[in-house]
Amino acid sequence: MALLDAYLKPLTADQVTFLLRRATFGPTAGQVREFTGQTASDILKKMLADQPAPNPPLDSATGKSFHDQPFDVVNAGKFTGYIKNWWANLMLNQPVSLLEKMTLFWSNHFVVTDVAVNDYRYVYQYNALLRHHALRNFKAFTIAITQDPAMLRFLNGNQNVAGTANENYARELQELFTIGRNGGYTEDDVRAAAKVLTGWTDTGYRSPASAAIGSTFRANRHDTSDKTFSPAYQNAVVKGRSGANAGIDELNDLLTIILRQAETPRYICRKLYRWFVNSDIPAEVETNFIQPLADLFQKGNFEIKPVLTALFQSQHFYDESLRGAVIKSPVDLVVGTFRFWGLQAPDAVANPTAFYQIGNYIYGRVKEQQQDLLNPPTVFGWTAYHQTGYYQQWINSTTLGLRGSFGDMVTTGALKLNGKPAVDVLAYVKNLSDPSDPARLVDELTGQLLAILPTQPQKDFLTDTILLGSIPRYEWTLEWNDYVRSPNVAAKKQAVQMKLTAFLQYIFRMAEFQVM
Amino acid sequence: MTALTQAMKQTRRHFLQSAASSLVLPVLIDGYGAKAFARPSSFIQSLLGLADQNDRVLVIIQLQGGNDGLNTVIPLDQMGVYTSPGFRGNIAISEAKALKLKNYAGTGLHPAMTGMQQLFNDGKLSIVQGVSYPTPNFSHFRASDIWMTAVDADKTSASGWTGRYLDKRFPGYPNSYPTGKMPDPPALQIGYVTSTALLGPTDAMTIVLQNPDTFARLVGETPKDPLSTIPGYAGRQIEYIRQQQASSVRYAGQIKTAAGLGMNRAKYPDKNALGDQLKIIARLISGGLQTKVYYLTMGGFDNHANQVVATDTSTGTHANLLKILSDAVLAFQNDLTQLKVDDRVVGMTFSEFGRRAISNGSLGTDHGTSAPMFVFGNAIKSPLVGRNPNLSDLNNNNLKMQTDFRQVYAAILTDWLQTDADTETATLFKDFPVAPVFRQTVTALEPVVSDARLYPNPASAGVVLESEWLRQGVKSVQVTDLQGRFLSVQTSRPTPTTLQFTVANLPAGSYVLRVETAPGMLTKRMVVVH
Repeated sequence: MALLDAYLKPLTADQVTFLLRRATFGPTAGQVREFTGQTASDILKKMLADQPAPNPPLDSATGKSFHDQPFDVVNAGKFTGYIKNWWANLMLNQPVSLLEKMTLFWSNHFVVTDVAVNDYRYVYQYNALLRHHALRNFKAFTIAITQDPAMLRFLNGNQNVAGTANENYARELQELFTIGRNGGYTEDDVRAAAKVLTGWTDTGYRSPASAAIGSTFRANRHDTSDKTFSPAYQNAVVKGRSGANAGIDELNDLLTIILRQAETPRYICRKLYRWFVNSDIPAEVETNFIQPLADLFQKGNFEIKPVLTALFQSQHFYDESLRGAVIKSPVDLVVGTFRFWGLQAPDAVANPTAFYQIGNYIYGRVKEQQQDLLNPPTVFGWTAYHQTGYYQQWINSTTLGLRGSFGDMVTTGALKLNGKPAVDVLAYVKNLSDPSDPARLVDELTGQLLAILPTQPQKDFLTDTILLGSIPRYEWTLEWNDYVRSPNVAAKKQAVQMKLTAFLQYIFRMAEFQVM
Repeated sequence: MTALTQAMKQTRRHFLQSAASSLVLPVLIDGYGAKAFARPSSFIQSLLGLADQNDRVLVIIQLQGGNDGLNTVIPLDQMGVYTSPGFRGNIAISEAKALKLKNYAGTGLHPAMTGMQQLFNDGKLSIVQGVSYPTPNFSHFRASDIWMTAVDADKTSASGWTGRYLDKRFPGYPNSYPTGKMPDPPALQIGYVTSTALLGPTDAMTIVLQNPDTFARLVGETPKDPLSTIPGYAGRQIEYIRQQQASSVRYAGQIKTAAGLGMNRAKYPDKNALGDQLKIIARLISGGLQTKVYYLTMGGFDNHANQVVATDTSTGTHANLLKILSDAVLAFQNDLTQLKVDDRVVGMTFSEFGRRAISNGSLGTDHGTSAPMFVFGNAIKSPLVGRNPNLSDLNNNNLKMQTDFRQVYAAILTDWLQTDADTETATLFKDFPVAPVFRQTVTALEPVVSDARLYPNPASAGVVLESEWLRQGVKSVQVTDLQGRFLSVQTSRPTPTTLQFTVANLPAGSYVLRVETAPGMLTKRMVVVH
């Protein structure tokens, strides 16, 4: 089997669930039903369809946008929080689309941290840039991010001038953003690239007087000499230029050189693979999946959509041995759980309080579970995608406790978001095909919630021991029907609700629930 | 605490307890053994509170599914009705096979319960007869919730009685814990799902070990049944997460330490899952874990069919369950004795309901109401509280209630865990007379207080108790019938010197009213006629 060949069969419900868990922040049961029976190719067309740019975050006190105003030092912390909460809500409310998960991918790739940048307007513009380019062209994206004011500050591109080069960005551009540390480039190449990149600076940083922020090329600070690269880059030369267009023209040349190396598209494709598919890349996958995908990327002039299409409709992606290979990131866990239960953030203009309550709750959970949005721990991104152990980096005794208490919190109904319980267990169970049959209830619930389907003995255990506490199954039927007949009798409601809550809390704490 | 101060505190506590007992006035009761005592006054309670009492432990065993009380504790005084074909002739235990109880010829135990028979005869087991609550519920889930949350049948609560008690005792748990005084978890449950009984107002007051294997993994022993392994990538991730989960059980270090210091001395029965769990608890207690409450669950009691084997009703599913329970509890008690921690531990069993008095046609029993509870330990004072249920006085084929389960909880909270009256009331949502499990049975008549008047007597609707003593407030009210059963009556205070009882709902008969006031106990006999 050629791993990258398209999987042409209509997808089963399990396959749809798998696809949506990996490629988005997870489906609702209704979305799984909607897409079951469609081919991966059909579903991907929807997932890659253009989305309108989201409305910017608003100050809930004034109802006005703040990213396009002069810097407000007093409210800077609050506005930074708004941006993170707003982004969390974009993930939550995202229709079936790859856009926000790719935006998050790029924030883990072209890393900038809000703490280092320290101007919320820069952070917003950076995040908007990631979203704008997330599904477009990688070369144009890299050119844009190089000039992004947040990136210029974060990796000191704004201090890189002729005569006293700052090599920071030139190094990371190669080591992390394009060709990767195994690309064979040398220290001389870092120095040469730094010269190419001289002259750029950001404008309007933390300015209380000016709303305008951006970047500019200062021709007089640009190194106009010819830049000669090592044999790793075929001794290529970027011809020295002067004048207003020197910076962009030389940047374009530099990226042309880097992107034509065979390793560059492979490096990006491996990162996508580790983000979406599996951390382990055995030789067979490297040869028969990464390489052809990289070829496709390069031949397609680094357009991103064809790569994602090929990846998510490949036969390899639907290989069952990959089910459960990825440990859910905190965002996958928290946003995915809420999406599954149908929680949506309300309109930010009509109900700013509830909008930020929800965004803030999500953001608080993912932050405490070690995935602070817009603030990865290092320029390498979150350790779960590059360090030995990979996804297991998300798991330790503290984060397991926090994951568990998150599950406890949302299932008791005590957590009210926008005035309603975040998870309405009874409403959900009522919509299952036959909630009066405990075995079917468990079968369906675990089928929807767990990536690794339990074996029959496990299902029996979940039914008889966890849900029913060793009471015979027909007793559940009686209790459930009793409740359905008198849904407003508190005692009857509580009888089934407490069982279901305890059951869900158990499921949420299962190791199997942590993988996808 | 040094051994010397510990000993001094022990002595002080024992002194205070006997002091409290000596102040208690005996009350009129017939020969059946269920006796009422006044709750120690608040003065005595506050003295008791001075002594450090953090060494007492409660073990709760939940019998899931509704245990058949009538085939557990056999009414030897009513065998004619009990074994009759229209009653439960198809499943009845024969008089010849029932186990006899010392000093209580009218009551027997299921033949599988030799262990609990021995404990009873040694004075270490109390049988509380006919435990239920007004307007009992027949739903497993709802009835379990009522028992675990300790609410009236028409109320609901999201917290459990033990959880509320522990929350009062360890305020701020879990966020402000562990502390130097309480380095250990307030409660430890062996089970898969946190018991409702252990839910506090905001947090579960327990840590949960899933099963003995989890314990084994935690303390570094080999689990009996390693978890089934999942192959491939997912298996690697899941194995990693499970390993992290085992090592991140809260208080893992404390539990490991206690397990390392503790031991077992008695032999436990083989292939007895309850025994395996009690064995862990004995080891942890002997190892110094300061946990107050241990909680275990045993399932399988919902036997609508084939609870007995037709050819020998002393065998079958129910007999097997009772044997497991009885053997495990005996081994546990023996172990505690040999480990010399038996003075610190009391255990209790409960089930969400008993079963229908009259059996069904499938060699089984359907959901019922009242049933006996077992309380075990050295602290037991009354072997039998209440009497055998009256098989000729049923309510829709169900046994009538004698003792509210919250009276037993009140006994555990007050007499065993020695909570003050306010905490006890807050834990149980109202004040319940204490079932005399831990109080000596007496048969003497209480001296009648002369300055109190009761009128009219006989009464049919209302009766008024009048006394100057009532001016200083009423601490507790108990109404018992001549069998020693507690009855619930409504009271009101028309004037500062009177207390009015509504007795219209009481069956005709003789009763004893006991009202505790600050100056002393008011006790009156009352006759109800209709």
